[in-house]
Amino acid sequence: MVPGPFGLDPALWAVLRLVIAILLAVGLVFNGALAQIYLERKMQAIIQDRVGPIHTGPWGLLQTFADAIKLLGKEDIRARLTDRWFFLAAPAIVFAPMLASYVVIPFAPGIMGADLSIGLLYLTTLGSMTVLGIVIAGWASNNKYSLIGGLRSAGQLISYEVPQILSLVTVVLLVGSLSMTKIVESQQGVLVNLLFLPLAFVTYFIAGLAETNRNPFDLPEAESELVAGFLTEYSGMRWGLFFVAEYGEITVVSSILTALWLGGWSGPGVDAHPLVGPVLGVLWFTLKTYFFVLVFMWIRATLPRFRIDQLMSLCWKFLIPVTLTNLLVTASLLLAFPETKVPVAIANWLMLFAFMAAVPYFQRRRLASLRERLETRRAPALAERTS
Amino acid sequence: MSFDILQSVLFALLTVGIVGAAAGVVLMKRITGSALLMAFAFLCNAGMFLLLGAETVAAFQVLIYVGAITVLILYGVMFTPQQDRRYGLFFQTQTPWAALLVAPIGIFVAFFAFSFADPGKALPGGGDLVPLATSVFGDFAFPFEVASVLLLAAMIGAIVLVKRDEE
Repeated sequence: MVPGPFGLDPALWAVLRLVIAILLAVGLVFNGALAQIYLERKMQAIIQDRVGPIHTGPWGLLQTFADAIKLLGKEDIRARLTDRWFFLAAPAIVFAPMLASYVVIPFAPGIMGADLSIGLLYLTTLGSMTVLGIVIAGWASNNKYSLIGGLRSAGQLISYEVPQILSLVTVVLLVGSLSMTKIVESQQGVLVNLLFLPLAFVTYFIAGLAETNRNPFDLPEAESELVAGFLTEYSGMRWGLFFVAEYGEITVVSSILTALWLGGWSGPGVDAHPLVGPVLGVLWFTLKTYFFVLVFMWIRATLPRFRIDQLMSLCWKFLIPVTLTNLLVTASLLLAFPETKVPVAIANWLMLFAFMAAVPYFQRRRLASLRERLETRRAPALAERTS
Repeated sequence: MSFDILQSVLFALLTVGIVGAAAGVVLMKRITGSALLMAFAFLCNAGMFLLLGAETVAAFQVLIYVGAITVLILYGVMFTPQQDRRYGLFFQTQTPWAALLVAPIGIFVAFFAFSFADPGKALPGGGDLVPLATSVFGDFAFPFEVASVLLLAAMIGAIVLVKRDEE
């Protein structure tokens, strides 16, 4: 048991520490969500050649705060025919696992909630619980669009969990531990896991996009076809809670990407000073995490949405075979050469390029039909315009 | 307040949660509510494993039972028509017979439960990943493989069942 500061009773300190930790995590999640909404709007504005929010505060920085206050002040509406308790509980069921996953995120050496020996398993476990909340939200809304959104979400998240976990397992095989600290510590210097396992990185990135319901996988809340999917009947802060949970989930996925493939907190100057080091560690970790967050936003502004059958076939016919092959190859190479990571790295890079080169072959029919359409429809129109 | 008391309190809460949720699953009229209460019972079960120090088993419990199986059951429930009928009716027509058959088993279970003189202690490190993995892939390798063959057979069966007739 940890003795408390100022001669506090250990049992009392344990409770106090829990309260402080929860407040810190909640503050982190809400402020992170506010920052990310601002970033997202600015990013999309830049990409779409607009200016984005500019009026509230300097550079529009206070816009998201104003929006948050507006959401908090809104009336809590519940339609009469919704399923009362489930409808009220669903945002909490989505939000709570996301908040709990901040326990094991390694911000810097010594700065993390708990260094669980099964940290990565814990994170995937909590990630899988979000589905339940979304399905319940869809069902309890008593609205067919919501229900379709919830069902799509269930199918999508359960399917993409498989390649996600399989990609994580490759890293765990290489490192030999599930503890987030050990995984980060195993990749000091420039030899980060991205150099050894690029294919697992790519597959996890795609699966992570699907797991957070982001574009191009935002089918559960597709505005143009499902109104807003499982969010249709929600308003005010309950709706806001779903959004905070989504942004929190993006941060968690980006943190996993950072910790597993980009060396987590490691960076110049972290080991230099016992006091400055952890601060720098937090800085590097945050910068790397927000790099991925920005890439997520970039993808959202760039790619169109998948159709549901394309989504499923991408997962079951492409990602799962690829990740299974990767797992098999990595495991056998690690068994054959337990001393060095080089064969794994070579195999992984080769497989990455092979699969990238194979995409046109697998998509040959689709490419042929696209080319045909281009020739039959667009070429005459172009010729007409130029003449 | 010490941690021993806290552990007992948590144990009591979890027990009430499991038993209450399990009773709710059987007694509730709304089938979606039953499914959700089942998820709650699974969560409480995971809490029990945590109390015993078996955090890996707890994590798998949540990952598989709450995250996957309950969602699949909910999925199934949503596709079944929801009418005004009593879902419990099928089982409740033979209440006296059921009570008569359950009672001996209940007495047996009660005897077994009260036969523990001192509370069992969790072995230190028993919940760690490495001993679990070595026992699954060492001592229990054969049952593990048998289970996987069973799952494979079930999967093939499911595929055959849902396969469309091609004419």
